[in-house]
Amino acid sequence: MKNKLLIILFSVFILMGQMPPNIVIDENEKDIKIKPNIAGTEVVLYGVMPSGEKDIIIEIVGPARNIFLEEKKRIYGFWLGLGRADYYKVPSYYNILSSRQLKEIADQRAFDKLGLGLNNLPLGKAKITNSATQQIIFDDNLKKYMIERGQFVKGEGQVSVKSGPGKVGIFSTEFLLPSSSHQGKYFVRYYIFQNGEFISYAENKIDLKQAGFSRIIWLLSKNFPLLYGILAVILSGSLGWLISTIFRRLKLS
Amino acid sequence: MELYLPIAEMSINPIGFLCLGIIVGTLSGTFGVGGGFLMTPLLIFLGIPPTIAVASEANHIVGSSLSGTIGHLRRKAVDIRMGNVLLAGGILGSFLGIYIFNSLKEVGLVDLLITLSYFVFLTAIGSFMLYESLDSMGLLGHKKRTRFYHHSWIMGLPFKIRFKRSGLYISLIPPYLVGFFVGILSSIMGVGGGFIIIPAMIYILRMPTSVVVGTSLYQIIFITAFVTILHASTNHSVDIILALILLLGGAIGAQIGVRLSGKFNGAGLRIALAILVLIVGVIMASELIIKPENLINIISGSNFE
Repeated sequence: MKNKLLIILFSVFILMGQMPPNIVIDENEKDIKIKPNIAGTEVVLYGVMPSGEKDIIIEIVGPARNIFLEEKKRIYGFWLGLGRADYYKVPSYYNILSSRQLKEIADQRAFDKLGLGLNNLPLGKAKITNSATQQIIFDDNLKKYMIERGQFVKGEGQVSVKSGPGKVGIFSTEFLLPSSSHQGKYFVRYYIFQNGEFISYAENKIDLKQAGFSRIIWLLSKNFPLLYGILAVILSGSLGWLISTIFRRLKLS
Repeated sequence: MELYLPIAEMSINPIGFLCLGIIVGTLSGTFGVGGGFLMTPLLIFLGIPPTIAVASEANHIVGSSLSGTIGHLRRKAVDIRMGNVLLAGGILGSFLGIYIFNSLKEVGLVDLLITLSYFVFLTAIGSFMLYESLDSMGLLGHKKRTRFYHHSWIMGLPFKIRFKRSGLYISLIPPYLVGFFVGILSSIMGVGGGFIIIPAMIYILRMPTSVVVGTSLYQIIFITAFVTILHASTNHSVDIILALILLLGGAIGAQIGVRLSGKFNGAGLRIALAILVLIVGVIMASELIIKPENLINIISGSNFE
């Protein structure tokens, strides 16, 4: 069963005939719970924006987390992970969704000025030990891994904009938050562009709470490690005993 | 289908890992070995971080060795007193092993420790097995297998005790030391240590072969249980979900393996296992020597904090 959770971030205020001056969003925070072990949670974003020759870019930045990198170096012929870069403020999730290809919407300089896009995403200062490598190299590798792990994603051209009544446009998009997503506040930032120029901005937040078995296991392992270890032994032992009993019964019958 | 491993912090294909359990379980059922020394390297090749592979594999072996011991207990093929002496040494050894493991983890050398231990033991044991099975087939031209005798210094040691089921009257010291050594390996390598303890029981302690496997499995349950608890409480590195999937697959595989083992010839089987062990050892070592594709890797970062 696919757990499809529909999150409506906006009340759609359609004021007939009236063009909203800006993008309209719901200011309230929304709580969502996701259950790990399922592929993830589909999040639907939609709202109202001025229509016409306009583009929208939506950026979603997850809560900060620690990430530790190691750098392998060759010592006495062995490749050993001795160098380290410790990050303490890496966004656990990043997604950029847009109504067209980003390069068609505006040029890179406009994005840089707004701090928009993966290139401009701050990863925080890293504590580098036992390595002469510059942080920028670690940053690039970190981004590469986050992309590989599906935690930094992009959906260019995945926001659809339909013109509503009058001069109102309705935009909508959906994306998958993986089941391994970090809990905490996800900032959602909306940027409207017209003819390559930035014209309007809004933001809101999603509060994500982890639920389910995986989180319980993780909490237990961190907070009650001895109990967790004993539990692991008991579970493994009981399953082993159960299996041997089942097979013995099967052989007898 | 994807399953998220909460401690390893990665999504895996549970069917794939179940199959891995079945394959290693089949091998261990066929060859009569525990399978830990094959499973841990395979988990590492599949991208499970070495520290988590070691700890979770220890947890897996608790269940599989318990499952195996029950059958041997019913056939009265376990020397419990000998098992307990080995265990007493093993517990002290696993403390030392964990201490070494954690000290090297602090300085970033634990992966080297794990890999090198595997390389040394797998190549040593693989070569010995290969030699021994070729020899027993008469391929090496020796007239007769040399017998091992109790060395006089072993017979001369104090604290002698009677091991009824093994029919032995020997000192506590040799089994205690064997247990101690295997306990160290168990915590560093995530193995039960059957591949060390069984030859030691046969050639050093001179136990009858009928009780060797059962006694080894019996003490492995407790050693790996202890190692699991030590890793869980000091490293938080036991992934219980991973362990249970492997256990489930392993149990199915072991049943297949036991049925298969009757169909092959013993020496050929041992040669196959020896070659397999050597291959795993060499692949393990090559990871350290060949320039890695990625020099920079994520070593930790939790999704749940």
